[in-house]
Amino acid sequence: MTTVIEAQSLTKRFGRTLALDGLDLTVSEGEVHGFLGPNGAGKSTTIRVLLGLLRANGGTTTVFGRDPWKDAVAIHRDVAYVPGDVTLWPNLSGGETIDYLARLRGGADAALRARLIDAFQLDPRKKGRSYSKGNRQKVALVAAFARPAKLYIFDEPTSGLDPVMESVFRAEVERVQNDGATVLLSSHILSEVEQLCDRITIVRAGRAVETGSLDELRHLTRTSFRVATGASLARVAALPGVHDAREEAGHLVFDVDGAELERVLTALTREGVTSLTATPPSLEELFLRHYGDRIAQPAEGGSDAA
Amino acid sequence: MIAVLLQQVRRDRIVLPIWVLGTAALLTVSAASVVSEYGDAEGRTQILTVALATPALLSLRGIPNGDSLGSAVHFQSFAFLAVTIGLMNVFLATRHGRADEEKGRRELLLAAPISRLTPAVATLVLALVANAVFAVLATLGYLSAGLPTEGSVLSAVALAVTGLAFYGVGALAGELTATTRAASGVGVVLVLVAYALRAAGDALGTPDVEKLTLEPAWPSWLSPIGWGQQTLAFTADHWWPVAAIGALAVVLIAAALVVHARRELGASLLPERQGPASARPTLTGPFGLAWRLQWPTLLAWTLGSALLGLALGSLVTAVSQLDFADNPQLAAILQSLGHTDQTDVARALLPALMVIVGSMAAAAGVQATLRAREEESAGRAETLLSAPVSRLRWLLSFAVLGAVTVAVVLLATGLAAAAGFAASGSDEFAWLSLGQCLVQAPAAFAFVGVTVLVMGLLPRAAVGLGWGLFGAGVVIGYFGQVLQLPEWLQKLSPLVHVPELPNDDWGPTILLAVIAVAVVALGVLAFRRRDLET
Repeated sequence: MTTVIEAQSLTKRFGRTLALDGLDLTVSEGEVHGFLGPNGAGKSTTIRVLLGLLRANGGTTTVFGRDPWKDAVAIHRDVAYVPGDVTLWPNLSGGETIDYLARLRGGADAALRARLIDAFQLDPRKKGRSYSKGNRQKVALVAAFARPAKLYIFDEPTSGLDPVMESVFRAEVERVQNDGATVLLSSHILSEVEQLCDRITIVRAGRAVETGSLDELRHLTRTSFRVATGASLARVAALPGVHDAREEAGHLVFDVDGAELERVLTALTREGVTSLTATPPSLEELFLRHYGDRIAQPAEGGSDAA
Repeated sequence: MIAVLLQQVRRDRIVLPIWVLGTAALLTVSAASVVSEYGDAEGRTQILTVALATPALLSLRGIPNGDSLGSAVHFQSFAFLAVTIGLMNVFLATRHGRADEEKGRRELLLAAPISRLTPAVATLVLALVANAVFAVLATLGYLSAGLPTEGSVLSAVALAVTGLAFYGVGALAGELTATTRAASGVGVVLVLVAYALRAAGDALGTPDVEKLTLEPAWPSWLSPIGWGQQTLAFTADHWWPVAAIGALAVVLIAAALVVHARRELGASLLPERQGPASARPTLTGPFGLAWRLQWPTLLAWTLGSALLGLALGSLVTAVSQLDFADNPQLAAILQSLGHTDQTDVARALLPALMVIVGSMAAAAGVQATLRAREEESAGRAETLLSAPVSRLRWLLSFAVLGAVTVAVVLLATGLAAAAGFAASGSDEFAWLSLGQCLVQAPAAFAFVGVTVLVMGLLPRAAVGLGWGLFGAGVVIGYFGQVLQLPEWLQKLSPLVHVPELPNDDWGPTILLAVIAVAVVALGVLAFRRRDLET
């Protein structure tokens, strides 16, 4: 598969702050790539470097095989971008803004524009200054989707949208993916990434700490079990790979490392099981394991962030 | 109530004192300067005689009443002080009124156990206090210039009451419109209309050169500032205008409070205008956007400077018809304005006045160019530059916008001045004034160019530096000789290099234009090499 975005050991400093500290990111053609991390991890900075708005202090970046700092205009012909904090021109109506932004890339597809405005339930006649945050975001999303692009970059696109609008957004992302487009989507909303993305890169403090498909990353995480069994709490808690074991209303509740699942299951069936629920790890948990250590063990660095 | 008021006072602890102290200082300086500039009764008679024969001067000043010092002070300063205090009150009303609602702060406040009217009444109290403090300072300012006590109190109170009337205008505008921008806009326009009405009325009025009085025409009577001028403070000391303006203030403020008490939070009497559902075909590319954002401002600059141009025509014509043979003192003043020893005073005056027009055009151009920085810091430049728009094209669009602004303002002013001269039968001056206006262009372009350069090099300081360098250029250009600044420093100001027509040596003018283009190029290069900074 062709690589659309390739970033290697990106570094970026703002004064004394190191915003990017050797970040790597690879996005292949046709995939929806989730770019996950808490606020301040360097997601927006990375995106701005990819767009040639900021100049990296070190490392190499290519988008469509070109250097974004030198060839920004050529790259941007095929890119639709929605920033995280959308500011509109106070005097321009939403409809004018959509037309204007789409025209910069060659003009909106009229039928698509009408359908999107309808789907996002946007009033295009309001002035930019009177839109709420969510509606400003919708204006930028309609402008991005109203003309086909090869690469869509969304920086926290749904932070102002309600669940219904989120599902409209998801449907549009699926549509452009089916048309063969590549999507880079930064977020700290895990359910969104879980539902949409083929591959994920998790960033923290300016560095990519994990990258891979959702399945590959789940391998690194724990599954939650709720079991009615003959085995004692102490016996289960002693099994390798079992964490946080406790008793709740006659059931044993515990988490198991992905790598130890088979051995734990074998041990459990030997003791007899009358009821069992297993919950796959959500990205929430995966996330907490990478960033939770700050809360759990503030003194030490993330030992499990391999 | 007290808590709400204290919070408003705290928010205003910098802005409001600047307005009050600044206006009072302006008043004091202005009164003192009349004492020194107009000289004795004979000097005042001479100047007021010229003024009464010159509608352009009357429109800028006001109505005199005899040859006393107080007459001259009232003539010179009342109208523009009324504008200043009016603007202060309009902004005070909208800052704590519509702005609070628009930003959502009012919602937070009204969720507390206070009445809907409490914040509005608190702001009214704040306005009463601010205007009262101003009245005290203004009285002291007049007294310090040696003016009579009753007149000082009257003029100060008249200004303060005019301020309250415009507070009412601002408060009512905030009830009518849904946005701060619209409310302040309506208020500012009404202040300027009040000034313009009395300007027209005074210019069209009937002067009495013997008694040095002026009977204004009917437009002045439509304006509260026109009423305030009828106090004839320091001379006749009429108090009835204060009562009239006070009644207007009460009506306006009461109307605003009545609407406010019945209105839902965030609602407005006039619904906010909707925009078009789709863009016109002309809204395309970075220049299309820059033009769309700037043209209303450009229109305002153009109209304002064209009015000035018209006034210049009649002003210079009036001056040229005066006989200076028996008035060497006045001739000397006018010649020093022109920085020249030409004997033909009108001819000498024209270049000096046109440099003022040139710096107005430059200010309009600098403001247009600085929109680039506004777009960048608001994050909207990021939106454009992540589309297929190059840095070069984006910043050049604003440089071109600045240059177009300069050209339009100069052309409009030049044509208006030429029309003014042609109307007063001076065809030679008509062509000369148009030419003298257009030769300002390279100097004004240089200011635009320098603004592009600071935008490229020092984005965060661009607004301050752009206006700072403009101000420095203007001060050095106007007052460099008077202040006896070193010659190399004077030559740094583009304004010094504006030629006086007829002119043989175009070298410096061409060089100035080349420098303007060169600094734009440097600015764009620097912009291409730096990060976007919000």
